[in-house]
Amino acid sequence: MNKSRGEPSKIEPGPVGSVDSDASLNDPDDDFRLVALAQKGDMTAYDALVTRHRGRIFAMIRNMIHQEADAWDICQDVFIKAWHALPKFEAKARFSTWIYRIAHNAVYDWTRKRKIQSAGELNDEIFVRERIDSGSFTTPSGGESPDETMAHGELRVKIEAALGKLSAEHREVVILKDVQGLSYKEIADAMSSNLGTVMSRLYYARQKLQVLLKDEYESR
Amino acid sequence: MNTNPDEATLALWLEDELQGEDLAAVDSWAMSQPDQLAARAQTRAWRAMVASAIPAVQEPPYPDFFNSRVMQAIRDSQPKAVPRKTFFRKSFLMPMAACAGMVLTFWVGTKTRNAPPEYDVAGAPKAIPVEPVIYTPEKGVNAEWFASAQASATVIVLNGVAAIPDTTDFSETVYVPMDREMDSTAGGAMNPGAGTIR
Repeated sequence: MNKSRGEPSKIEPGPVGSVDSDASLNDPDDDFRLVALAQKGDMTAYDALVTRHRGRIFAMIRNMIHQEADAWDICQDVFIKAWHALPKFEAKARFSTWIYRIAHNAVYDWTRKRKIQSAGELNDEIFVRERIDSGSFTTPSGGESPDETMAHGELRVKIEAALGKLSAEHREVVILKDVQGLSYKEIADAMSSNLGTVMSRLYYARQKLQVLLKDEYESR
Repeated sequence: MNTNPDEATLALWLEDELQGEDLAAVDSWAMSQPDQLAARAQTRAWRAMVASAIPAVQEPPYPDFFNSRVMQAIRDSQPKAVPRKTFFRKSFLMPMAACAGMVLTFWVGTKTRNAPPEYDVAGAPKAIPVEPVIYTPEKGVNAEWFASAQASATVIVLNGVAAIPDTTDFSETVYVPMDREMDSTAGGAMNPGAGTIR
């Protein structure tokens, strides 16, 4: 499995223990040790847990909602909620899977609230380029900004745009599987779903993405 | 004997999630299934493409501030320590204690209502004017004071104080307001010399 992609987050040496090295960042046993300390009220241990997992959780939320500022707030809420729910956490599942589940709920809460708040507002999606009168003096720009393209890479922008066209469930299952590298079982736990549903969603989500990214996918 | 894996096992195999004997069994079956091997290769290529384009880890902006905000929110949400109720502050005893206090106050009032005042204010001596005593901390210094109601002035004469040397700079003992201490609305800009001693 692709467990560790990208740069691991750094942990400052602190009084939480002597195993806070980069090599142990993805070590579930070390997570359990920190969780046990945090459950006793050790906030330094919890701070280390936040540092350890914030990068993955923030990336997951940001990929789901495509808004950095809101992703920052939601990610913060996730770790605050996790602290309050920590006494209920049992070592049956990995801490990372458990926190993904909290993030999943937070993202869906945010999406639900946003739908209610934006009801009746102008929907940007109605500006499909094909529907714009060719004789109009001005047309909205449909392309990405140059610096965004430079920063994220052309492929990333295309994949993110394609992901944005999927339903939230399909998008999430692709992000958790293909970006975060979770197993089917972990995704089912995080999404409070069953294995068969996750497999089915992933299959159809990939089918749609491969159609949307046909040129990119076939050139590789 | 049917050696074909079920759909769920095949899906796990395609995603490289099988291990041990399960993996070996499906691997041996797949040797004669070129379409399944191709499907697995395709899945691997897809995952590699997505993983190379979108990072799995992205630090939130201002990560240290992020942590401190989380920790502060947690501290703020901690329940404040509730002081333990003392014996008399227990809810069922408070009305009884209040009643007892009222009764005690009433009883003390009935006992002290007709008691004579402790001091006879009417017979108190009247205040008499006293001449001020002048205290001089230095030995050999005699002080006299003269008051004039007409001049509305009081003069104190000190005899025996050493002569003040000519070198004494009195300006050091005088408060001199600085320009910056002046009221800025007092027209300082109009009269630059205001507030200085010449």
